Amino acid sequence: MTITRRDVLLGATAAAALLPLAARAQTSEVVIGATYPLSGSGAQVGVDAQRAFETAIDIINNDQDFELPLAKGVGLPGLGGAKIRIVYADTQGDPQKGRAEAERLITQEKVSAILGSYQSAVAVTISQICERYQIPFMSADNSSPSLHRRGLKYYFRASPHDEMFSAGMFDFLDAMKKKGAKAQTLALFHEDTIFGTDSANAQTKLATERGYKIVADIKYRANSPSLSAEVQQLKAANADVLMPSSYTTDGILLVKTMAELGYKPNAIVAQAAGFSEKALYDAVGDKLEGAITRGSFSLDLAAKRPMVGKINDLFKAKSGKDLNDNTSRQFMAMIIMADAINRAKSTDGEKIRDALAATEMSGEQTIMPWKRVKFDESGQNNDADPVLLQYVGGKFVTIFPSQAAVAEPIWPMK
Amino acid sequence: MGLLYGLIAVGLALIFGLMDVVNFAHGEFLMLAMYVTFFLFTFFAIDPLLSAPLAAAALFVLGAAVYLVIVRFAMRAKANVGMVQIFATFGLAIVMRGLAQLFFTADYRSVPNSWLGGKTVSVAGIFLPQPQLFGALVAIAAFGGLYLFINRTDFGRALEATREDPGAVALVGIDKNRVFALGWGLGGALVGLAGAIMATFFYIYPDVGASFALIAYVTVALGGFGSVFGAFAGGIVVGLVEATTALILPPSLKSVGIYAVYLLVVFIRPRGLFGSM
Amino acid sequence: MDKQFVERRRRDLITAAGLAAVAAIVPLFVKDVYVQNIMVLTLMYAALSQSWNILSGYCGQISLGHALYFGLGAYTTALLFTKFGVLPWFGMIAGGLISAAIAMALGYPCFRLGGHYFAIATIVIAEIGLLLIQNWDWAGAALGIDIPVRGDSWLKFQFTRSKLPYFYFALVLACVAWFVTWWLEDSKWGYWWRAVKDNPQAAESLGVVVFNSKMGAAAVSAFLVAVGGSFYAQFVSYIDPGSVMGFQFSLLMALPAVLGGIGTLWGPMLGAVILIPITELTRSYIGGSGRGVDLIVYGALIVLIALARPEGLVGLFSRRRKEATR
Repeated sequence: MTITRRDVLLGATAAAALLPLAARAQTSEVVIGATYPLSGSGAQVGVDAQRAFETAIDIINNDQDFELPLAKGVGLPGLGGAKIRIVYADTQGDPQKGRAEAERLITQEKVSAILGSYQSAVAVTISQICERYQIPFMSADNSSPSLHRRGLKYYFRASPHDEMFSAGMFDFLDAMKKKGAKAQTLALFHEDTIFGTDSANAQTKLATERGYKIVADIKYRANSPSLSAEVQQLKAANADVLMPSSYTTDGILLVKTMAELGYKPNAIVAQAAGFSEKALYDAVGDKLEGAITRGSFSLDLAAKRPMVGKINDLFKAKSGKDLNDNTSRQFMAMIIMADAINRAKSTDGEKIRDALAATEMSGEQTIMPWKRVKFDESGQNNDADPVLLQYVGGKFVTIFPSQAAVAEPIWPMK
Repeated sequence: MGLLYGLIAVGLALIFGLMDVVNFAHGEFLMLAMYVTFFLFTFFAIDPLLSAPLAAAALFVLGAAVYLVIVRFAMRAKANVGMVQIFATFGLAIVMRGLAQLFFTADYRSVPNSWLGGKTVSVAGIFLPQPQLFGALVAIAAFGGLYLFINRTDFGRALEATREDPGAVALVGIDKNRVFALGWGLGGALVGLAGAIMATFFYIYPDVGASFALIAYVTVALGGFGSVFGAFAGGIVVGLVEATTALILPPSLKSVGIYAVYLLVVFIRPRGLFGSM
Repeated sequence: MDKQFVERRRRDLITAAGLAAVAAIVPLFVKDVYVQNIMVLTLMYAALSQSWNILSGYCGQISLGHALYFGLGAYTTALLFTKFGVLPWFGMIAGGLISAAIAMALGYPCFRLGGHYFAIATIVIAEIGLLLIQNWDWAGAALGIDIPVRGDSWLKFQFTRSKLPYFYFALVLACVAWFVTWWLEDSKWGYWWRAVKDNPQAAESLGVVVFNSKMGAAAVSAFLVAVGGSFYAQFVSYIDPGSVMGFQFSLLMALPAVLGGIGTLWGPMLGAVILIPITELTRSYIGGSGRGVDLIVYGALIVLIALARPEGLVGLFSRRRKEATR
């Protein structure tokens, strides 16, 4: 994934050459904003997100033969074949900057909708601004459950939030217990920012409801220089299931430290984030044989739905990576938003909002293992089912729920 | 772990403590050393153990260059020298992060399967990870070497004299810039060593330095400026305090213990444990 | 004290009044909210930096932990409003007073520390504050506090789209911070601080009184920064520990004063007016590449200014004036 300055320049020239053409053809364009961290510690996610969005508008703007909405034909038919253009804004992971950038996108770039934003804290301020300007905001990859519970009219999220993810993880544990596997005591290990806190809250609640015993609940400082004290405590607790909620950096350090201190957990069931990033498995994959992570996406779907594989190829050509948890959700957010704009037949925020609220997309029209896409009155799609993936032999296989599974879980992990 | 903090801090102790220059880009020096190690490993399959001297050499050049290009001028400022140094090096830190992102991308890297990585020595049920163990040995050697160097060699004495009274040393024919450039180079080389060892068990990305920089400052100040032995002791104290705090407080608060001990020490001894200035 | 000095101070006051008047009518011509947003931030940073300058510039106690007071102001206001329904105007005063009290309590042991020991102590104290808030569930911990905005209201100091009320508040805050600095320059405290800087021996003979004046400076500085924090909470209507109390923020607050001219009356203003728009514009227009180019430009600029104008950019404008003060 190396983009030289010349590539960018070439792209810009090409775009400039196309512009007058588009104007002549009287097909206006629709502008969608994307707010991501493009510098600072989350920058890689933002860069990958750009590739995911480009893949999506490639499919929308050009004629492609997929079962996705808008794939066939050029542009948005509802708006006379208008094409979608994305404007990126750098939030640097800072709520105040995200807010300023959202406002700039709305007032200067005249975007019709905004997608975002990786960090949930940034999504809070961006969605506030969107509400004030009556522009729809869709969380592509924010998973904090508090986001859709703020009574916002212009907030939407097609993918699951942490409580749904955690419920999926506990459904899996329930199923394993029924099969007689050892999965009674849990160790929670989570970072201290919004993601880890939300995730741990949801897991604690579910564990109590369903009668699991939490033998260690370790909250650690994100990007710590060392996790040895924390891992010592995990090792001492020696729970049946280790449930980490960590970003990539801490995930790598956690696994390395566990190996160094000779701690081999019985099983790992992770709340995605770092544990669905390729970088983590590149670094410490050999120590993670049999680790399980929840996910919102699985490449195994390609066997049942061939377009998933083809779209993955398109994305891989741009980024050099397979679609993962984040990029697949970003891709879908763009498709769902474009579909709503097409049905709204307008670039007006309020009309798009109403069209989004009326969305009814079947699972087969997505690249996700979801039942369907339909938003409730708070803007959340409750029919997005998470899957559980196990890292076996250098790749992920889907092990849960049974309708999506391609293999039996290996328990305990090797 | 404490000795590793010490190892990171020893380079800083030389720059910050002995030359009385603040280097806010210290964490970024470390980041760069880790990238050097990573690339030598990935493209030339040179194990971090062997590439450590190369990383040290690269950072020696960087350290000396930073002094000659930036810090030399910052020290020349007539007013508020301290602030000019802080912000000149702070700006440098931002540039280095930006450059790292531009050339190395923001992807997370790590050195898999080095000779030391992931191996542990088990002594009476206590697991001692080899990289850290090795790091500790290097730290002790580096401190010892630096201590002798400062106290026993002409250069060490020149360095100290230059800090105390640049005017006087000029009279006896010592070139202040040369002495300080060498001092910075040496400080850089020590960070280079630390970076090479860190790379065997830590992840690498453009912002990685930030995790360590503050701890390194606290370590140096805790031990006391102007004392190599102080920085060494500071490192051990920081490591111990961190481990103990994690037992009493939730681990997310473990740095609070380190910070509190720092405050306690300087309130009682305003020049740190072994400081001379 | 001589005639020239009195004359200069009068001229400063008239210039400030003139600039404030000009600034006040700018929004009538500039309607773009993005630009208005930059202007609000510029004024906010000017006010913060001016307040920081009182303690660190004039008084010579370099604090790299002022984010603590900023965060305290923001959190006091937001917590009082969301938990007890206390209007932000009272929260602002409460936050200011709490910060001032804490600044004095911390100043007592810290002012005995010299140079780097003091600076590192301030960093460390602010980090402790950050960690405590981050682990305090009642205060939202890492989730932060989302201040619900329900329409425009001066009483609650919240406005959905209009930036003007925020702009004028920030302008008033910047003017107050400037005026306090101006007033201090000619006060007893101002004389002591100059005397201490010029002549360390004077410091010893003045001992106790100087110590007290430093405590005063810390309190005033913390109060104003906390009010700035309250303002930020209302302006952004969401706060979380990392964004209001992080170490970076302490540096960002000091940066305009350092680049503009530390320990000068006009430095922080000038620094903010140049630096903040550049920060925002580089991020908005070249940050979208995801390649870190905005960081390189921004960082290089700081290095260049710090090296080329160690005494601050203010030196470019008032060479004559500086000679007059000598």
